[in-house]
Amino acid sequence: MSSRTKISRLAAVGGLSAAVVLAASACGAGGPAPSGPSGSSSINVLVEAGGHAELQPIADQCKKDTGVNVNFVELPYDGLFNRLSSEFSSGSVSFDVAALDSVWLPSFKDSLQPIDELFTDEAKKDIFPALVKEANVDGHFIGMPAWTNAEIVLYRKDLFEDPKNKADFKAKYGYDLAAPKTWQQYQDISAFFTKDGMYGTDVKGGVETEFLAHVLQAGSPMVLDSNNNVVIDNAAHKQALDFYTSLVKDAPAGAAQVDWAAAQNLFNQGKTAMTQFWAHAYRQIPKDSPVYGKVGTAPMIGGSAGVAGVPGPWYLSVPKATKNADAAKKFVKCAFDHNDLAIQSSLGLAARISAFQKYQDQPGYESFKPLIETLNAPATATRPATAKWQQIVDTVLVPMLQKAVAGGDSSALLADAKSKVQALLK
Amino acid sequence: MSTAPVQAVPALKDTKQPASARTRRRRGVNREGLEAGRRSTRTILWVLLAASLILYGFPFLYLLLTSFKTPIDTIAVPPTILPKEWTLDNYANALGRGGVLASFINSIQTAVISTLLSLVLAVPAAYGITRYKTASGRVFIMAALVTRMVPPVAIGIPLASMMASVGLSDTPIALSIAHTTISLPLSIWLMSSFFESVPKDLEEAATVDGCSRLGALWRVVIPVVSGGIAVTAIFAFLASWNEFLFALLMTAVRSQTTPVVIANFQTQFGLDWGSMTALAAIYSIPVILLTLLLQRKIVAGMTLGAVKG
Repeated sequence: MSSRTKISRLAAVGGLSAAVVLAASACGAGGPAPSGPSGSSSINVLVEAGGHAELQPIADQCKKDTGVNVNFVELPYDGLFNRLSSEFSSGSVSFDVAALDSVWLPSFKDSLQPIDELFTDEAKKDIFPALVKEANVDGHFIGMPAWTNAEIVLYRKDLFEDPKNKADFKAKYGYDLAAPKTWQQYQDISAFFTKDGMYGTDVKGGVETEFLAHVLQAGSPMVLDSNNNVVIDNAAHKQALDFYTSLVKDAPAGAAQVDWAAAQNLFNQGKTAMTQFWAHAYRQIPKDSPVYGKVGTAPMIGGSAGVAGVPGPWYLSVPKATKNADAAKKFVKCAFDHNDLAIQSSLGLAARISAFQKYQDQPGYESFKPLIETLNAPATATRPATAKWQQIVDTVLVPMLQKAVAGGDSSALLADAKSKVQALLK
Repeated sequence: MSTAPVQAVPALKDTKQPASARTRRRRGVNREGLEAGRRSTRTILWVLLAASLILYGFPFLYLLLTSFKTPIDTIAVPPTILPKEWTLDNYANALGRGGVLASFINSIQTAVISTLLSLVLAVPAAYGITRYKTASGRVFIMAALVTRMVPPVAIGIPLASMMASVGLSDTPIALSIAHTTISLPLSIWLMSSFFESVPKDLEEAATVDGCSRLGALWRVVIPVVSGGIAVTAIFAFLASWNEFLFALLMTAVRSQTTPVVIANFQTQFGLDWGSMTALAAIYSIPVILLTLLLQRKIVAGMTLGAVKG
């Protein structure tokens, strides 16, 4: 066959393939249209990949109850914010409901519909107080809690119950070895277990929430007070930062780079005796982990203001630009009504107090009681409601913590952080 | 010191040999020296090749091995290279996840359309620029290069809005157009270098034989640069196949591609290394096969671009 004939045939095949592909591309392989027509009973829900598992059993139930069919659009966490910003700013959205991280609510408040009618007195009684407060932005409820989380203490029950450890600890510190309740106890236990290649705890320089929980425990609002004054250089912040860095000596090297994933790995590998971590991690310990079945849970530790944690809730919100507002709101209400179904998912989290309480005494859900206690603690508070919060975290808080755990002067770092936060808020 | 007289003796003996023998001897020495030099050069090249292979191949090998590890092995501190226990669970988890198959089809659709668009636009553009050599052509090709300097994130959001406004939101064709903006400048530059290497005499001969300008391009020049077209197609295909940012911003239910699905294994609640690496390993198979299939064309294309006619 001559090369000319070859090329002609190739071109014909290529052209035909192109035509087929172009025809097929009118609709992709993923499913129906991105957003159904006005009044459609099919809705698209934009969700972070990890949250999909939480909502799937609820969506299945809601289809039976309300006839609303849900298509999930999963995106990775970092990309979700960009996608939301892009669609909200264009005024045209490809979704009817979005699962939003709590810190994004202030940023997107102008693009979200109020859902005040869903926050009945009965509903509000069944939601943790901090979440009711957070969902209300500028006088309107714009997000219904879908699931929430908070840091609790995970510890190696096998090590804590070991008779030799118990005796040695009592002899050294003068009180019984048990799950820590105060900063002092946490420091003592961390120091006690730091030996023979093991560490008492981890110190996370790459994330800010744990430090902020200590600020609440020390009796101060986080970074900003209720009037949006920057208070990051007050005594409570210094006390919290000094406590945070005091644990570095009992933690694995490289604290500045330790983030959630690293801390979770260290604990699951059996390298740390305790960790302060999001409650969902308890149910995610791999079965082949050396610590599987050997982990105990306790509420977040307390400072002078008592126990306190920073909740990590996600909210279901309805964009103003959706054409399916009715179906979207129906789904949001239904998701709240069947919130407990999410607990049976792989992540096992919910938002309603009653949902957690329903499971708290069942085996495998030992993290729920400490979680409820932490979320109900009077000093527990959500992060400041400012659209600049993520920027404050990324450009001020995390770099400050990284310098602090590397040995920086806490007073100087906090003073510097104050001026940077003030500049961001101007 | 004691070796000096010993060396001097054969030198004296050599002088008594006939000139032709001395020349042969010198040639032999030169040949041996050259051989030794070639051997050492070859050894160095092999060592460099092996080092490069390890440098480029190890991350992929590690990804492949991780895909066969158990969950606790994947997060071992310090990390292990070989799995302690081999498992196919990660592949089952990855392929069992909803939307994975659809995302593969979407990736193929998007990459094929984008590659075709790139070639259809780049081949005539590059031909025109190289054959007519006008000032506007030179400006055009430089402008095409400048578009490569614009970070994709800067145009991602406006592009997504534009696609939505023309009703192409969440379709493979929208994503293909976006991907073409990435691959087209490179395709034009590549094809230009390939066209430069084709002697004009070939076209002139075709014209003398009765071909039109386009006929000469189609019947003579394109077959000569087919290797170059294969190289360009591979680059355009890869640019689309691996692209993440536009896919993240422009796709939803219908047209989500596999890179976004792979990224979804990293969630706020943890990172599923096993499933992520398993899907990444599967996703790399079509590209490896394509490269192997077009290997000859690619090599031919690369050498074509290297020699100016």
